[in-house]
Parts: sequence; structure tokens; C-alpha cells
Amino acid sequence: MKQSVYGLALFILLALPPVAGLMESLMIAHMHMQMPLLVASGFLMAKYGQIRFPRFWERWNVNGVPGILLFAIVAVYWMLPRAMDEALAFPAMEAFKFVSLSLLCGTPLRDSWPKVGYAAKSAVIIGFTLLFAGMGLLYVIAPVQLCNNYLLLEQIALGWGFLTTAICMVIFMIYHAFTRHSAYE
Amino acid sequence: MKSLRPNSFATFAVLLFGIALFYWGTDGFTAYTAESARVNRLLDARPTFPQTTFEDSKGRSYSISEFEGKYVFLTFFYSACSTVCVQLEGNMGRVYEAVPAERLGREIVFLSVSFDPDRDDPARLEEYRTFFDSDGETWRMARVSDRAELDRLLDEFGVIVIPDESGGFAHNSAFYLVDPAGTLIDVMDYTRPEEAASEVVRILGQERGNGG
Repeated sequence: MKQSVYGLALFILLALPPVAGLMESLMIAHMHMQMPLLVASGFLMAKYGQIRFPRFWERWNVNGVPGILLFAIVAVYWMLPRAMDEALAFPAMEAFKFVSLSLLCGTPLRDSWPKVGYAAKSAVIIGFTLLFAGMGLLYVIAPVQLCNNYLLLEQIALGWGFLTTAICMVIFMIYHAFTRHSAYE
Repeated sequence: MKSLRPNSFATFAVLLFGIALFYWGTDGFTAYTAESARVNRLLDARPTFPQTTFEDSKGRSYSISEFEGKYVFLTFFYSACSTVCVQLEGNMGRVYEAVPAERLGREIVFLSVSFDPDRDDPARLEEYRTFFDSDGETWRMARVSDRAELDRLLDEFGVIVIPDESGGFAHNSAFYLVDPAGTLIDVMDYTRPEEAASEVVRILGQERGNGG
């Protein structure tokens, strides 16, 4: 229960206009700090939803697949260059960003991750690694500015952010593959 | 064994939501960047040219009515720009060359508008135009000195200009075509001058076919 309060506190902190303004002024902070933190706030707040509405999750998210799908769809949507521009241009899109990344992305992830099998987990991790690598290359190589609100240099910085994240995920996968898990369980 | 039926239903609903979200967010899978969405919106809205006073490289001042009855092929640039604008104006030159000479100035005027009026005074524009073989007459380079008028024009045509740290600007670029009545009728990809040229020649040909 305590962590739900922390989640809510994080959400409110992120929504404070000076904090939001600061993070959105840098393209890489917008996508690689603000957005993941919003997901994290929803992830923490999920505990409250699980305690308060256990039946809902048991009924509609039995094997975790709907939740993981929802998480992936919303996460991928916010990687579109256009979605990021529109969040800056229209207050309604900004509100939708906050609500969707926390409640439609972080919250279902929390409930679904323990429920889905090894294959689904691998698919999510590998899928996002490929996507990050692809987005990274796109942002680094694209000769044109994809976002109207950010400079080309910032776009390249974001591209490298994506690529380093992808590299870290690959390292994690290698580490995971070469660890004897039974020794730690 | 719990029933999986609501679960399957939820999966289906989430997929539908996903399709709807992406459909709505990309204007029916057509615009993945805000720039392409901007061009789509412009072509729908077809704004008319706002009241603007230009000051060209010869020091002449006039409003858009100077070009009444003619097509205007427009770009927005600033002369201190060493990257995109050079390509933009260079490609504009290729479109300019593709238009039959007898139509230049009579049916269509090329106009490069600077959004950096502080630095791009007539003398600077006069120098800059020679880099691109613009004659200053059928292809004019001009600044909009009045800040409010300039902002209104940029806003109307969806040109976003952000000053960067080194005294330059980041900006989106395109070819704009305004018809003889002053309505924006086409926004073209500036990296494809051949396509833009054939489009311009086609539109001019149509006009002639209609006895215009």
C-alpha cells in the first residue's frame, strides 16, 4: 500500500509544471526519463488497484496477455516522433500522455509480468531491444529533423540513448543466458 | 480452472484499442511525424496569404498583391544557414530552371522569404541571390521586416522556427505553391525538385488549357 502512495507522489511530482517543463525541454529527458518514470509511477500505483479490485484483474487478466499487450501498445505509441511533438503542442495530448503511460502502461505491466510465461517475457524483452536498436538507428541516421520541436542534435542524442539502452538490454540477455539460476533460487 | 473467456475478450479489446490508437494518432497510418501531419493539415485547410509587406533585395517594398494573378512558388530560409537552406534554395533553383522561361514572371513568380530580417537586409539578400542565379525579378528574395507580420505568415503556413545556441535557426522546410487568388494549394517535398518541377509545370499547363 505504501508503494502506491510513493507512485502517486512520483506522478504528482512529474506533473508539476516546472518539472514537466524542464524534462520536456530536452528531447532525451522527455523520452528516456519522463516517460519511463511515468510508467514506473503506474507500476507502483498498481498495488492499490490489485488490493482494491482483485476480482477485476483475476477475471480480465488471467494469463497476463491482455495486460502485456496493452503495455506494449501504449509504450510503442509514445515512441512515435509525432506523439512526442503533439504532447508538446496540445494540452489534451499531454494529459493523455500522463494518464496512458501510468495507468495503461505501468499498471498492467505490474499485474501481467508475473503471470506471463517465459516465452512471452522473452518476446517482450527481445522485441523491445530490437525496437530500441531500430529507433536508435533511425534517430541517429535520419538526416532530417523528425520532431518539429527539437533540434537535430538533440535527436541524435536521443538516438544514442536508444542505442545504449538496447546495448544494456543485450548485455542483460547474455548475462541471463549464462547464469545458473538454480544456484540463486 | 478459471474461465479464459473474459481474458480472450480483454486481449481482443486491447488489440482493437491499439489499432484505434495508432489509426487516430497517425491520421489513418499516413502521418508518423508531426511534419507530415502538418503538411496534411495545411493541404486540408488551404490558408490564404495573410497581409504581408515584403522588402526585397532591390530595396523595393510591396505586399502580396504585387503578385496578384500569378502563381507564387515560395520557400522560407535565412542566409546565414549553411545546411538545409543551401539545399532548399539550390533545389528551388532546379525547379526554377525547369519552368519555361516565357512563363517566368508572367504566370509564376519565385519568392524566397527570409525569416531572419535582422541580418538579411536588402544588401545581404542581393549578394545571396547571386549564389543561386536568381535574377531578383522573376525569382525574388525578400525579408518581412515587421515582426508581427512575419510571425503571422510563418504561423499561417505552419513554418516552425526555433533559434539555436549558435545564432542560427532550426526550421522545417518545404516548397509552397500559392495560386493566383492567394490560396496555398500545394506543399511539396523540397528534397525532390524534379517531382515539384513537374507538378508546377503541370499546374501551369492546366491554367493555360483553361484559357488563363
